[in-house]
Amino acid sequence: MTQDNRSGRPQGRPPEGDGRVSRVEASLRGPFLLFFVSAVIWLLAASVLGVIAALGLGSSVGVLRDCAWFTPGRIAAAQQDLFIYGWGFNAFFALNLWLLAQLGRFEFRNGWLAQLGGVAWNLALTYGIARVFAGDMTGYRLLDFPREVGPVLAVAFLLAGFWPIVAFARRPSGHTFASQWFVVGASFAFPLVYLLAQLLVLWQPASGVVQALAHSWFVANLLQLWFGASALAAIYYFLPKVLERTLTGYYLAPVAFWTFFLFAGWTGPAALVGSPVPLWLQSTGVVAAAMMIIPVIIVAINVHGTLCSQGGWARAWNDTTLRFVSFGAVAFTLAGVLGGVFAFRSMSALVRFTSFATGLEQLLVYGCASMVVFGATYFILPRLTGALWPSAKLVHVHFWATALGFLAAVVAWLVGGWQNGQLLANPAVAYADVLRAESSWFLVLKISAVLLLVGHVAFALNAFGMILKAPAPAGRHD
Amino acid sequence: MNDRNRHSDSNRPRRGPSGSEGPSDGRLVEVHSQLSRDKDEPAEGFSLTPIFIVFLFCGFGFWAGVYLTNNAGGFSASAFDLDAPKVVVGGGPVVFEPDAAKGEQLFLANCAACHQATGLGVPGAFPPLAKSIWVTGSEDRLIKAILAGFAGEIEVNGVKYNGNMPNIGAGLKDAQVANIATYVRQAWGNAAEPVMDTKVAEIRKAIGNRAQYNPADLLKEHPLETK
Repeated sequence: MTQDNRSGRPQGRPPEGDGRVSRVEASLRGPFLLFFVSAVIWLLAASVLGVIAALGLGSSVGVLRDCAWFTPGRIAAAQQDLFIYGWGFNAFFALNLWLLAQLGRFEFRNGWLAQLGGVAWNLALTYGIARVFAGDMTGYRLLDFPREVGPVLAVAFLLAGFWPIVAFARRPSGHTFASQWFVVGASFAFPLVYLLAQLLVLWQPASGVVQALAHSWFVANLLQLWFGASALAAIYYFLPKVLERTLTGYYLAPVAFWTFFLFAGWTGPAALVGSPVPLWLQSTGVVAAAMMIIPVIIVAINVHGTLCSQGGWARAWNDTTLRFVSFGAVAFTLAGVLGGVFAFRSMSALVRFTSFATGLEQLLVYGCASMVVFGATYFILPRLTGALWPSAKLVHVHFWATALGFLAAVVAWLVGGWQNGQLLANPAVAYADVLRAESSWFLVLKISAVLLLVGHVAFALNAFGMILKAPAPAGRHD
Repeated sequence: MNDRNRHSDSNRPRRGPSGSEGPSDGRLVEVHSQLSRDKDEPAEGFSLTPIFIVFLFCGFGFWAGVYLTNNAGGFSASAFDLDAPKVVVGGGPVVFEPDAAKGEQLFLANCAACHQATGLGVPGAFPPLAKSIWVTGSEDRLIKAILAGFAGEIEVNGVKYNGNMPNIGAGLKDAQVANIATYVRQAWGNAAEPVMDTKVAEIRKAIGNRAQYNPADLLKEHPLETK
């Protein structure tokens, strides 16, 4: 197997497909597929809600507007929760478990525990989403679910999301690799952050601004330490794995890991600049967001340095997995740089209360994390099921629809948000004109939502078709 | 940075025994952990990247310290915004300095809706501030106007306005009123002395929480200067 037979190969036809699956992978099959299938189902549901929400943008009449369940506030919250907790978490349960089991040669014997956790997670999520649609949300973004859902999700996380740490602890050799650090960090960080946020925001609400502070701290940690760190782990794994070479400047990676976890936890208050939070907290948030440039630079040296040498970009483009993964790596760099620049008071005063923040967040959650998961799936599923991707055409549709749909949306959010902020800050512009300028971006967002749905449907058809026609699991001795 | 890639030729991870795609994961981990132990021993072409990065990151750290020192309100739990009097660690409040730039921000937020960013007002509705003796004359009169507002007929630069100016200054801090007054006294060709926050505090105490001034009454306290 050399790169020759991969470069010209149409997407979605991985070289192996001999129906034989390694023992490590055979032991992962059950939990992985449970997480993955639920993730994709939630992704589809979130995309449909996304289309409904986007089509309702800027219009006060609509078929569904008279039904309270489909008012924009509930749709938007449900869409976000489904995307984050349904797609994002299930997908990274699967990916993180697979990664660390592979790197630690870990044969998973207690798969039923993880599956139990996965079922509990998805049931709690379903209940929470139903309550959100019924209008019983808490009003705290990404902590929308009524508070009784929190403990269930936390326990389900421990059952479903803690196995990567077990796999890490049981690894045969003393050596560790960057992907392992990031996954272990993410798996430890999320439950702690989630429990503390549940406590301080919902169960024993802290008084005054501390509640808002705890909430913004939670959101930043959720996005960076779970999505960001898990995505970085996959990026660090698939680049050297598929390109068959070592990472440029790898000796810097430990610095990236420690600075990432040190600063990411502090970026929360940057979203509260200008609010009645003690000044030193606001400024610490600004500094932390700006200092995130250090891990971002190192990741850029590691990742883009590797891609820039020896025709790495061309090979990445010709490999389905790396095409998605390097898309995610670029989005990560962009999100880090923009996040640092727009944390500064003068910049954040301009784009605060606009769609710019949404754009930055989606750059990380979709542009980086989701694209990396897509790429990883193209690598993992054939190995896990021993089958081939049914349609190369659908892979193309998936990539182009999601990439273009996402780019369109991100441009609309970032450029539109910037423009909106400029107009709002200008006392000479009437507010009606500000709204008119903002709504000129709605068409782009509508097209983007439809494109994303098309891409996700293509992905789901391909993946489900592959899982259904896969041969029965048969262990291979190696 | 090319010298880093010499590893990739000599140490290219081999395919695993399983015959699967790519190098085996064990090999991947081992090679990379070796890479992070054996730091650069530049054989050919010394790379400046590591040194440059060390300096760059130290620079970031230095900047972070400076930024926090200047923008953290002395790490006081009761400092909430940058305009609040700064508390120096171990010392008293820093002396106020009139700041026309901050005044401009406040002016745009509080005053420009009527008086316009140009300071020219709206003919027939809101009087101009530019080249107006009401602004550049007595600072007491100006501060009283900002603190308490106006209701009644007022003549500015020979034009009569029947205005109603709310008591904008009542909701602002002394330093903010002083900054606004300083800004309007020095912008658009005006050139008058800046206003101190102590002066604002003094007048605020003297007039108390009162109704809007009738311009004619205010002129009895502080007659218009002749140019």
